[in-house]
Amino acid sequence: MGQFDPDMMAHIKFNEFVENLRDLDDETRFEYILDLAKKHRDDPFPETDMSAKHEMHGCQAKVWIIHSRKEGRNYFRGHSNAAIVNGLVTMMTDSFSGWADEDIADLTIDHVRQLNLGSLTIQRQVGMMAMLKYMKKLSLDKVA
Amino acid sequence: MTVNAAALTKSEQMPPAFDVERVRADFPILEENIHGNPLVFLDSAASAQKPRAVLNAMRYLYEHEYANVHRGIYYLSEVATNRFEAARTTVARFLNARHDHEVIFTRNATEAINLVAASWGRAFLQPGDEIIVSEMEHHANIVPWQMLRDEKGLVLKVAPISDEGVLRMDAFEALLGPRTRLVAMTHMSNVLGTVTPARDIVARAHAVGAKVLLDGTQAATHNVIDVQDIGCDFYAITGHKLYGPTGIGALWAREEILDAMPPYMGGGEMIDKVTFEKSTFAPLPNKFEAGTPAIAEAIGFAAAIDYINDHGMAAIAAHEQDVLTYANQRLATVEGLRIIGTAPGKASVISMVADFAHAYDIAMVIDREGVAVRTGNHCAQPLMARLGVDSTVRASLGMYNRRQDIDALVKSLEKVRRIFG
Repeated sequence: MGQFDPDMMAHIKFNEFVENLRDLDDETRFEYILDLAKKHRDDPFPETDMSAKHEMHGCQAKVWIIHSRKEGRNYFRGHSNAAIVNGLVTMMTDSFSGWADEDIADLTIDHVRQLNLGSLTIQRQVGMMAMLKYMKKLSLDKVA
Repeated sequence: MTVNAAALTKSEQMPPAFDVERVRADFPILEENIHGNPLVFLDSAASAQKPRAVLNAMRYLYEHEYANVHRGIYYLSEVATNRFEAARTTVARFLNARHDHEVIFTRNATEAINLVAASWGRAFLQPGDEIIVSEMEHHANIVPWQMLRDEKGLVLKVAPISDEGVLRMDAFEALLGPRTRLVAMTHMSNVLGTVTPARDIVARAHAVGAKVLLDGTQAATHNVIDVQDIGCDFYAITGHKLYGPTGIGALWAREEILDAMPPYMGGGEMIDKVTFEKSTFAPLPNKFEAGTPAIAEAIGFAAAIDYINDHGMAAIAAHEQDVLTYANQRLATVEGLRIIGTAPGKASVISMVADFAHAYDIAMVIDREGVAVRTGNHCAQPLMARLGVDSTVRASLGMYNRRQDIDALVKSLEKVRRIFG
């Protein structure tokens, strides 16, 4: 067994999404995103956090993202009032939770492309990039 | 909506039987498949598709007749100038303007409204003067007036609408007063489909000495427009919603008003004589058309109007009303769906919200069925706030839509309900 690598562990969720989405056709990928949104029904996003303070702009639907830090790592939770966006924001926040500041700072559109969202990427790239940018900002703000 | 029989072209007086299948055959994009399904295009209120007649007119110009317009002493420039000015005549007739030079080409209706704000507004409005808009304006008919208000110390008042989306004329009347200088109002809401009572608005505004600007962006697409009969002072339209190209629109205003207005932008085309000490300006319409205009786009715009006239606007409107009525009936069968905007006499825009899915989810799912609609606030955030919604799904009709498109929309909405309901 190799040495425990906290960065590698933190990136497991992102790699899992990349792996899961790799060979899906558009229809199945779409259902996968919706399932992600439904998963969070059991652990709902706090209503008190659906506030202007946590709302990000750049998507047609409302999107809220909250951020916390633990042991120098970034943790995100997100929610949207639109189901598909909820799935996408869940994927983004789950993917990059646990990442170190420098890894969050290095996030680019390539990470979104790696998720292989197919036609969803083309349609929602602007929104996904807005989420990425917002998460980077939250990380930076907390650092400051 | 006002119709002046004398203004109608021959084809409008005797419209041929409207054949939607023949119309559809003229729009090549309607043959496209989207995500493996035939395209059902229900977003004409954002931008209409283009018939071959428009594409061909622009291509022919570029291939055979293109040169810069005005003052070129050679054959091609003369031909292009003639085509360009003929396009102005076509637009003028389309609106039943008294003179061709009352039509100023702009990039779009937004620029037409901004032209009025920047030129007429700056020149003639004084601190404390009042402008009235309605609750159902597009941002393009709000923001220019806010900017002018802040610059000049004006007062911007808002005429309310009813829950059905009807302009409340009693409340509008109450806002009018001796300081009202301009009523800037949509002629048809891009969200609700409400057609405003233009002649009544004009009569009441003129009674207090106010001028009236009508945003005809949507109205001109679905109805015969006669600016003389309406009696307004300014009328703004855009080409791309009228089956023409993007980048071309028009401001119509009465000659005496345009004559009194200072130029909007400085540059070539709009001048008479220039020295370093002073410039004098060209007469109408060039005074307001600085720089090389959108030549091919103007010609494409005219081709679109010719195409509309060939079918007859009255016949197009009747066809669209038939599809709209059918849509209202069919959409009423979708459980949990609510139509926003039910004003009597409304035209071809259907805004919807659903209790089973967010507008964004609806649009995403039905896009996969090939159905193209628009979601969001439709550049009308104050109206959304008034309606208490953050987003609607908007299906909008053009002359090429048919009942089958509505069937496809309803079928796809039922699929959304199965997924999210």
